[in-house]
Amino acid sequence: MDVETVDWIDGPSAPRNRSTRVPPTYHSMRFSRLVACPLAILLAASCGRGELPASPAAAGPDGGTLVIASPGDADNLLPPLAVTIVSREVTDLVFDHLAEIGDDMNTFGDAGFTPRLARSWTWAPDSLSIVFHLDPRARWHDGQPVRANDVRFSVALYKNPKLASPIAAALANVDSATVLDSLDAVVWFHAREPESFFDIAYQLWVMPEHVYGAVPPEKLATSELARHPVGSGRFRFVSWQPGSRIEIEADTANYRGRAKLDRVIWAISPDNDASFAQVIGGQADLFESATPGQLKAISGHSNVRAFPWPTLQYGFLGLNFRDPKHHAQPNPVLHDVRVRRALSMALDRHAMLQNVFGGFGAIGYGPFPAGLATADTTLRIPHHDPGFAAALLDSAGWTAGPDGMRRRDGVPLAIRLIVPTSSAFRMRYAVLIQEALRKVGIRVDLDAEPFPAFFAKQTAGDFDAALITYSTDPNAGGAAQSWAASSMIPAGGNYLSYADPRFDALLDSATASFDPAAAKRYAVRAYQVIADDVPAVWLYDLTSLGILNARFHVTALRTDGWWAHLADWTIPTADRIDRDRIGLGAAKP
Amino acid sequence: MGRRIAARFGQAIVVLWVVTTLAFVLIHAAPGDPFGFDAPNVTPAVRAQWRAQFGYDRPLPAQYGLWLRNLARGDFGYSTSLHEPVRAAIADALPRTLLLMGVAVVASFALGIALALFQVRHRGTRRGRWAGHVALFFYSLPDFWLALVLLLAFAFWWPVLPPGHPVNMVMHDYMAPLPALLDRLRHLVLPAATLTLLTTAGVARFQRNELLDVLPLDFVRTARAKGLDDRTVLRRHVLRNALIPTITLVGLALPAMLGGSVFVEKVFSWQGMGWLTVNAIGMRDYPLVLAGVMVGTVMVVAGSLVADLAYLVADPRLRVG
Repeated sequence: MDVETVDWIDGPSAPRNRSTRVPPTYHSMRFSRLVACPLAILLAASCGRGELPASPAAAGPDGGTLVIASPGDADNLLPPLAVTIVSREVTDLVFDHLAEIGDDMNTFGDAGFTPRLARSWTWAPDSLSIVFHLDPRARWHDGQPVRANDVRFSVALYKNPKLASPIAAALANVDSATVLDSLDAVVWFHAREPESFFDIAYQLWVMPEHVYGAVPPEKLATSELARHPVGSGRFRFVSWQPGSRIEIEADTANYRGRAKLDRVIWAISPDNDASFAQVIGGQADLFESATPGQLKAISGHSNVRAFPWPTLQYGFLGLNFRDPKHHAQPNPVLHDVRVRRALSMALDRHAMLQNVFGGFGAIGYGPFPAGLATADTTLRIPHHDPGFAAALLDSAGWTAGPDGMRRRDGVPLAIRLIVPTSSAFRMRYAVLIQEALRKVGIRVDLDAEPFPAFFAKQTAGDFDAALITYSTDPNAGGAAQSWAASSMIPAGGNYLSYADPRFDALLDSATASFDPAAAKRYAVRAYQVIADDVPAVWLYDLTSLGILNARFHVTALRTDGWWAHLADWTIPTADRIDRDRIGLGAAKP
Repeated sequence: MGRRIAARFGQAIVVLWVVTTLAFVLIHAAPGDPFGFDAPNVTPAVRAQWRAQFGYDRPLPAQYGLWLRNLARGDFGYSTSLHEPVRAAIADALPRTLLLMGVAVVASFALGIALALFQVRHRGTRRGRWAGHVALFFYSLPDFWLALVLLLAFAFWWPVLPPGHPVNMVMHDYMAPLPALLDRLRHLVLPAATLTLLTTAGVARFQRNELLDVLPLDFVRTARAKGLDDRTVLRRHVLRNALIPTITLVGLALPAMLGGSVFVEKVFSWQGMGWLTVNAIGMRDYPLVLAGVMVGTVMVVAGSLVADLAYLVADPRLRVG
């Protein structure tokens, strides 16, 4: 019988360091270490700056408070509906997956995944189902044990159309979950796919049925439960004052051991400068959205340090393939690949990157973040050559007039670029792009709007060009959500109406391949197709710039969220301040 | 007076309805909707589902009718940006704004009147001119600029005051009553000082003009002829009469300060009504915007009513007339 059982049972005295263990294999698949390289390089680069010392093995007793000066609030604290970054941070820390993805972000099979609520799992011979054996020690924060029916409930809830979870699409291959007994849940898949395990383990946070099952799914978003989560993570929820603060604290009875910090508080400070001042003044410890200018300003303050963290986001100048006013027709200017290529070649991406991000930026290479396993930084991207760009425009019939601006049949070569005023980076890029394109005779009309108005235009396809940031899942299939023909607006996130059957077919092959090396080859070919089609100018890979109080010793950072290992952050006893010594369960005098 | 108050109350209801209806139409006419926030992984299809769940896909008249019906029941709706009932959001934010504005109004009128007295006493001298220049300087400053400068000065360059929030977000709940009160006062200093400095100059200029108007009057000359010294004349006779128009200014200052507090609250992370309403507009949180407009309108109407009544109380001639 070709059943592979992966047993990761940890006894109370089991060593905590799992890195010495042999990772499980997925049938006869071999896992290429290549997938780990881009991330490892990125993280090594971050650490190489000497800004993020690794946590020492022992930094004194548990305790301490992390205060995050956050520019935004949570939207809600239900994992399937959590959208904002703060919501994701809180729900990731309060809830658990069945298994946790490894720091190398491998999405094939179960390699690199470590136990969470499931202490082990067993694949069916046909790989169409997996039995998850739950850890009997796991408890919800209200004291109830975690049981298999909670897994069944969670899968059904995520997929329930009445809940309208944005994550439901990522669980399309998951059919359902059933209960074998109180500690064994079976997850069933529609088809045998290489990322089945990733789908269920990464996308699903398990939620207690006895808590959330009492409210109809369509009412959950507005219920009290959306503001008072009950999970099983190493942090438990304490309070949320909307627009003001969110607090979580260490769950001292947690089956995985209590978090090393006592508590984490998000102090909502909508003003960027105020948040920065709070961290400098010591009132807060972490500011996630610093500007390059603010990073320079911290040089004289020894109590803080730079905290850059890689993300799975990338920014680009998107070019609309449709006419903004008559969507059935092609864009009168940008349907011509020569014009799109000329636009790309007229822009000095490296100079713009330096201008906007200073020394903290990373250039974009295609429809993927560099931290993705399938990322390839050797794609043939049109290089900066204004002379060649001018020649391309000439050949497309757009000739320069006496004023230097180009026209064809009396029609000026002009594009309308939409940009959200909420993004300082993108606003700066917009001005640089306008100036660079003016030099080759293209007029750029900037249409800067607050985000809701920007998004309304983006969704309606009412633009020629748009400065967009995409966030992707850590698998190759993530690109399909934004670039495949099947994802074209209004159904999906393909706002540019880009469609190339070769790209779609290659990406399908990449996501269907069980061989990671072959998957990467297909993905890279797909990326090259899109690079040749030039639906966008790949501007930057978003590295979030943060500022962190120097008393924290941080562990490794993961590309899908710096907070992944937050429960293991420590503060040496000698460096602790008043708020670190409050302790747990301290009563108000 | 009772009839007069009743009439003003009726007017207030009409004004409230007109203003909120106008706000309803305008906020819905603005591009975007409550689910147009920046979340690259949320597809337009999912956003459309959420829109339908909250009824924002219905025709505008139907949405308006529903809003009015809920309002009649005392239900202000659900805030999609704060994820709580609008009533709860207002209940949290309004006291903070009233505290900030209350402190600023009292401080700015006290300081403004004192400054005006100083200017009048030292009129024509270098000190008097300098006081005028200083008042004019603060009068000319944009509120957000002054707030940022004070923030930088006292929370960043010389960090003696907390940079934001109504209380220490971590320690306040663990403080004894007296330290907790001091903590609240420390957090009040910068935002209240910003609003006070901005308003003081206006009050001072207004009060100074009123004092100068009263100074040449006969009863002042009579008081001087009785042998009273300048200080006594100014305080007992001139100021008392010149204060009457200033009393009405108190009522009108409340709504004016509500506008100024929008930026101040944002800069100092003071989660009051200004901050709430501006965020709600940015997030297209329709029910919260409308509730914010309602509260603002009520404050304007109430302030105006208070000004009228104060004038009636302070000036017996109006009661007789």
